[in-house]
Order: sequence, then C-alpha cells, then structure tokens
Amino acid sequence: MKKVRILSLLSVTALVTTVLVTAPTVANAAPMCDGKSPIQSCVGVTSDGAPYAMQVPANFNGTVALYSHGYRYNVDIPAGIPLIGGYKITNTPEPVPGGNAEVAKYFFSQGIAIVGSGFARQGWNPDSAIKTNVELIDTFKKQFPKTTKVVAWGSSLGGVITQGLAEKHPELVSAVAPMCMADNVSAELTMAGDFLWGIKVLFDPTIKAGNYSAGAAGVAESYGDLVKVFTVMGKLQASLTTGAWPDTSSATGKALAAAGIPSRSALLLLGLMAGLPTQSAHFDSISGPDGALKLTFPLAISPVLAILENGTNAAALAVLATQDVENQTGGAIFDNTKTDYSARVDAERVIFNAALSGNTAIDAMLGALSAANPGAPRAAGNAAAVAKMKALHQNTGKINVPTVLMVGVADPITPAGASQRLVDLYAEQYAAEKAAARKAYQASRDYKTPTNKLLMLWNTTPSNYTKFDAAGSPITSTAAAQGTNHCNFTSAQLVLVAKSLVQASSTGKLPSGGALYTAVRKAGNLSIDKGISVPWLKAYGDN
Amino acid sequence: MKALHRRKLLTATAVLAVFGLAATAIPAQAAEVGVTSTQIKLGMTLPMTGTASLGYNKIPGAAKAYFDYLNANGGINGRKVTLVVKDDRYVPTEAVAKTNELILKDKVMALLAPLGTANVKAVASSVNPGRRGVPVLFVNTGFSGFADAKKYPTTYTVLPSYIMEAKIMGQYIKENFAGKKIGLLYQDDDFGTDALAGFKTAGINFAVKVPYASGSQSAAAAAGWITKFKAAEADVVILFGVSSATSAMLGVAAQLKYAPQWMLGSVGGDATTIKLTGVPAGVLYNAIGFSPVPATTDMKDEYVKFFSDIYTKAVPGSAFDLNVLLGMNTAFMAAQALKAAGANPTRKSLLAAIDSKGATFANSALVPAAYSKTSHVGLTGYWVGKYSPAGDLSPVGGTYVSYTTDSGAGAVVKTTYKRPAMPAKGLPN
Repeated sequence: MKKVRILSLLSVTALVTTVLVTAPTVANAAPMCDGKSPIQSCVGVTSDGAPYAMQVPANFNGTVALYSHGYRYNVDIPAGIPLIGGYKITNTPEPVPGGNAEVAKYFFSQGIAIVGSGFARQGWNPDSAIKTNVELIDTFKKQFPKTTKVVAWGSSLGGVITQGLAEKHPELVSAVAPMCMADNVSAELTMAGDFLWGIKVLFDPTIKAGNYSAGAAGVAESYGDLVKVFTVMGKLQASLTTGAWPDTSSATGKALAAAGIPSRSALLLLGLMAGLPTQSAHFDSISGPDGALKLTFPLAISPVLAILENGTNAAALAVLATQDVENQTGGAIFDNTKTDYSARVDAERVIFNAALSGNTAIDAMLGALSAANPGAPRAAGNAAAVAKMKALHQNTGKINVPTVLMVGVADPITPAGASQRLVDLYAEQYAAEKAAARKAYQASRDYKTPTNKLLMLWNTTPSNYTKFDAAGSPITSTAAAQGTNHCNFTSAQLVLVAKSLVQASSTGKLPSGGALYTAVRKAGNLSIDKGISVPWLKAYGDN
Repeated sequence: MKALHRRKLLTATAVLAVFGLAATAIPAQAAEVGVTSTQIKLGMTLPMTGTASLGYNKIPGAAKAYFDYLNANGGINGRKVTLVVKDDRYVPTEAVAKTNELILKDKVMALLAPLGTANVKAVASSVNPGRRGVPVLFVNTGFSGFADAKKYPTTYTVLPSYIMEAKIMGQYIKENFAGKKIGLLYQDDDFGTDALAGFKTAGINFAVKVPYASGSQSAAAAAGWITKFKAAEADVVILFGVSSATSAMLGVAAQLKYAPQWMLGSVGGDATTIKLTGVPAGVLYNAIGFSPVPATTDMKDEYVKFFSDIYTKAVPGSAFDLNVLLGMNTAFMAAQALKAAGANPTRKSLLAAIDSKGATFANSALVPAAYSKTSHVGLTGYWVGKYSPAGDLSPVGGTYVSYTTDSGAGAVVKTTYKRPAMPAKGLPN
C-alpha cells in the first residue's frame, strides 16, 4: 500500500475559524456605524477589549443573531511547527460562521441583523466570553432600540458559550443554537489528555503531555510537544502496514512490540480509550479496495487510519488547550491516576477486535497501560489547579429556551457525545416538566403539554465514502466526508439552523412535523432520528 | 447509562399518567413500522460476500424459501412476510451502516438473525435497537452476553451459547478422553472468551491453547497452529472457530498428514461448507461434532424432511446443509412469533409473544428453548455426533442423545425434552 497522505490534510482552519471584520481598538466606546444602506455596518470594542461587528439591514425587523466563534489558539505558533505553524493570535470579530455569505444573506433577507465579537481573550474563554456577549447584546439594543429579539448561536467552543448564555441569561435570548458544541472543559481535556498520555507512555516518553511550566517556558514546552506528537504520528503512519514501533518508543512500548503487537493496534486502542471517532474525513472503517485487502482493510487498517487522521487533527488542540488551561489554573489539570482504561474500551474491544489484534493483544496492551505498571506512569493532577478548572464555567445542560443542536457524528474535536449529553438531560427535564404539568392539572383541570424546546440535527456520515485509486491505495485528497472533521457543515445546513432559530424566536416553537422533515431532507446529510444515540465523552463514565 | 434508564422510567410514568387523565379518549393506533395491511417487512444483515461468507450466505435463501412457502399459504393473517437482506461482509462497522439502512430507509419491523458476535454488539451500541424498540430476533451468534435482557432488551438468542457448547464438549471429553492431552484453537474475542469460560466451568485443562485474531485465519496461520499442537503432543484438538478457520486448519492438516482426534465446534462444523473449501471429506471422518438440530441427512426427521423439500424446490442445486436448516428453522420460529403477536402485530406485541410463548414454538431443535418473561435465552443444548466418511454428522451410536445446560455453573444433563410435533402443513397455528 502506498504511503497514505494524512498529515498534509489536517484542517487547521477547522480549529481556527475564519476572521471577518476589522474593528477599532477603543474599548467601550459607542459603535461606529457607516450609515450605509441596504446594510449598515458598525464596529466597536466592549469594555473588556473584545472587538465586535454589527451588520444591520435597512429592513431590520427587530431580531438580531449573535454568533460566537470557536476556539482560537491563545499563543502565536512559530512557523517551523508542522501543520499549524505561522498562526498569530487574533480577536477579529466574526458575526456569522466563517464569514459565510449565504448565511448572512439569509438573515438580511429576513430583515435580521447579525452581530459577533472576536472576544477579548482567546483559548478556553467561556467565562469572559459570556460576559462579553451580555454586554454586546446590551450595546446592540442601545444602538438599535427597535430590537425585540436576540437569537444566539455558536460553533465549537462558541457552542459552549452560546449554551452558557442561555443557561445564565435566558431572559436575553429567545432561541439558541450551539453547533458542534464542545463539552465542558474537564471532559474535553480528559479526552485530550488521555490520548496524549497514551502517545507519551507508549511512543515517546519525552513528550510532556501536560504539567507544563508557567509562562513562556510552558509555551515553549508545548511547542516541543507539538513537534514530537506530529513526528510520532508520522512514524506510525509510515509503519502502518508493517506494524513497526517508532524508534522513540518507551520500554513499555518496546515490550509490546517484542510481543508481536503491531503499533497500529496500540494507536487504535489509545484512540478508543480517549473516545475519538473511528470514522474520519477519509476513512469510513467500512470500505476496502478491490482485491486481497477488500476485507482486511476495513477490519484491520481503516479504523487505525481514522484514529490517525482524527488524532492528529485533535493533537494540536489537545496540547495547546491543555497548556492554556494549565496557565489559567496554575498547574497540571490532567489526572488519570484512577482511570480504568479497560472499562473505557469494554464495548469497543469486540467491535474492533481484529484491528486490535485479538483479546490476548488487547489484554497485554491494557495491562501495560494499567496503573500497576510503573513503566507507564500515570499523570497526577495538581489538586488546586483541578479545582480551579472545575470552577471555570460549566454548562449544566438545562434547556431554557428553544434550542437547536447540530453536530457531526464523527467530529474528532468536539465529539457528538457532548450534544448527546444535552439530548439525554433534556429528556429528563422534559419528563419532569410533563410531571409538573400533570400535577398542575390536578388543581386546574387544564392540562397543558409542555412545549418541546430541543431540536437535534445529526450531521451523519455517508454509508461508505473511502475512495481508492486503481492501485488500491486510499485517496485522501478529496473533501472531508459529511459528518466528519470539525464543524464540517454546508451552507445549506447552517441556513437550516438559522431558519429554525428565526422560526423559534418568532413563534416560540421549533420547527416540527412534515415541514421539518422536508427542510432537513433538502439541507442534506442531516438526520432528526430520535433513535440515534452516541456515547457521552469518556470522562463521564469514569465517575 | 444510568441517566438513560432513569429517563425511560420517567417517560413511561408520564405517558401512563397522561393516559390516565383521559381514559375515555383512546387514540387510534398508529400503524407499526414495517407492517402494512398486506406485508410484514423484516431485515437481515450477514456476510454475503468475502471470506467469512462461505456457508452463511445460504441463510437468507433458506429463510426466504420458508417465507415464500408461508406466503403462498396465506402468510401471517393475510400479510406476506418479506425479508430485506444486506451484506455486511462480517465487518462490524459495515453491519452498523447496513442496519441503519434497514431501520431508517427500508423501515423494517424487526431484525432477523443478524450474524456475528462483534457485528451484533456493534449494532447494539451504535444503532441502539433496544432504545428504538426494534426487535432483534434470534441472533445468529452463540455469545452468551446477548441473553442479557437488561443490556439488550429487544434481542433474543436462538443458538445455544458458546458457554453451553463448551460445557457439553467438556463433559464429553471427560467421559471419553480422560487422560488425553487436549488442545484448543479458539477465536481471540468474545466468541472465544465464552468458550474458555465454558471449558473452565467444565474443568478442562488444556495442554495447549492457540488463539487466533478474527480475520487472521489462513493456510499460513494454520501451519503455525499445527506446529504448536504438535509440540504439545495434543491427542485431541478442538476447533472452536468460524468455518474459515476450521477449513484452513483441516486443509493444511490434510497436507501435512496431521491427524489428531478432531472435535469441531458447531459454528465451524458444517461439513458442506468445509468441503466447499477443498478439504477432503475423509479428513472429517470420525471427527466429533455438535448440533442442536437434527442431522441434515436425517430425512426420517419430519422437520428436516419438510424443510429439505421446500428448500430443494426453492433453490434447486443448492445442498441442504446445517446453515440452511438453521436459517429455515429461524424463519419458522419468526413466523410463529409474528402469528402470536396478534392480528395487528406491533414491535411490542412481537416481543411479548416471544416472552410468553417462545418456549413452546415448534422447531426442529432437539433441545428446549428457555424463552420467558425473564429470559431471552433460546436453545439450551446439543447432541453429540461423529462425521461419516462422506463428512456427514450423525449421532454417536445412531441415536440422538441430547444434553442441556445453562451459561452459568449449572450441570450438563441429558435432556428428556419432547420436541413439539410439526404443525399442520408447517404453518404457524
């Protein structure tokens, strides 16, 4: 098999969202508006220093859509670092996802204004970002007194911010849409930490994988980790078919290699332990090339390639977000001293048994990764830092206003399980609301069915999508499949969310019935099937 | 997940409460998914192509042959039973995709006889038929875990579990090969884990155990296995794997003239399938095998004769073998379950029918089924046979002696089970 070109495919733009508007630098001044028609543009800076941008159509109907962008690295990345080098911190405002013109056009056609900031602080920032948004709503209303309704939406970390806004200030928003929403910080960084820890203890023990030094030294350490992690992933990719282990492998890794366990099986196990999806942009874990590998490829190779693609995509954020949150909390925040990785993969080990090389190999790997093996030392968190991390904003999952969720079922950065958590919690909430309604009926004899406040849009993967060339090598130059990669939505899907928000804000009810089915079908690659259920992030199962 | 169970309970309570408020306003019953006035649609996933498909790919044809016969004789209360078949190539992730298609696009009422432990497990965790309320009837795997009604609330086993099989094998070994060195070839996944648990319960100590990872079976691998069995001087070698593993082993053994006392697990023990791979029938001679249903050559058995006649007409030229018999038997049981589910069957009434009447469904097995309101366990035992020079499995001593047990610590006992007679014309009552 030809060398699979994965690393060059990394979707850095998926992590660092496109910027849109240049804003002034004077904090807390009134917006500066150009007074143009049909679209008036205003810019300004909130009191905490977040630049913002507003665009208001001439036929403004009183509704404004507030967008929150996703995670942006909060450090510059030197050009020499592979894949993401050259990134500069930016807080340029983003009033619609990625500056998507079709979305903006839709809003304007409805007489709806758009607004968004670039936030004052990048990195993990929901605490400050929610406050920024509250101020921005107030600023907009003062500038445009005709404003009657605010709908809020956001992507990735912006989804957390959006949900947080609805939880803390439901009086400010009439509908919200957290899209490809991240989970709470501890769940997300547990996923990141588990994968990084596994890479470290098996493939390169010189990787720090957290517990970075304070300040600039810690940033430099994170740069070093990025290079090492990408190097390891490259080596694993190169030895995919032979199963050889990287020359940097630990003694524990080398012992597993000596036992005949291929490195690809170990990599897959790490991905499963962390909860990474086993479908990726180009690997569906289903298809195989014609010929001898028709069955072997999906059974033994494709899931590993999916973890390689997803894991590499996630690694940069894992390193940099860990360094960022440690910087905010003052110490190591990843702690796997009590994690039972065997329990973590109990469901998956039979499903991917062939790629994991069978139970004997799985048990050997889990034994090597157990807390009892000093050759794979567990990471201990700093208690004070962990407590501070838990004190950062955490969404409870309470649904206060009509809410639209949309996520790719194989999103490797913000797994669909984060949205599933809200779906499951809302099911309990709705049942409780029904019970309360029944109780109220006892007194009033007037039963009022609670209004459904949640619409879940699953961005699904095609039945199969891995393509092969005439020689049987997988093709990785094509666009990422739907349902994979991070926040990999089409304009049609984003517009559907926008329309749903608008309807919910004007009627108080989310779309439903035949009209919803038709709209979902037209948007493409979406499902509202209530039978879909994906696992929560692994951290929730540890308790 | 704890939260899910709680939610389910709360939802159910709320639904009951609302109905209680307006007891007189009974809503019109919505038509069940996959059920129309003329049709009941079932779906099946299994390997139809690829190395694992050999033999198993006859199961849909067998099931359809029975359903066609049933439909020609009035169907189920006038509804024809149709079977939508999807090829999963024995790849768990593909089984997930194909099952999703069956449920969401084809809109089947129930899944019938999905094949393979890993595949059924993958579907259970990713497609969630239990959460959707979709019945998964008579899974084609003997993994004991699928009888866990809490974990798999809509799933029903039919094959005796691998634990049961290993316990019965163990009993036979102790009675017939005491003091001999025993070797075991097993699949290194839950299939094999079940087998190991059964042998452990039976108190069998192995001279050598050789695991193989699913998908790794080949002639080259088999040569390595034989080296290990020879080194351990195994007198009896148990092949507790899939057909392709059994075939690879016996084929290479024939070439190397390696001939211990073979003992074949039922999963990989279908002679027709083994012989199709080029293994000489003589290699099977005197090997010991196990089956819950009668010998496929036993035309004195009313079920075998009945199914064989239907299949021969429906699929001329195709050998009537164990896979065919089991496929038709499963279809026959499914038909009875649908009939018992009432005039307008629903997914719920179908599940309830198996709970209440499944243990009494007529079928060809010579061992009892254990379905009840608290058990999703199907057949519970095997008879022991030997392969003839032609490779056919027949009962040791010429008479079926069946053993039954459970998947726990229960004893292996000879069963006095009296099989129900074939219903008139082989149609559900």
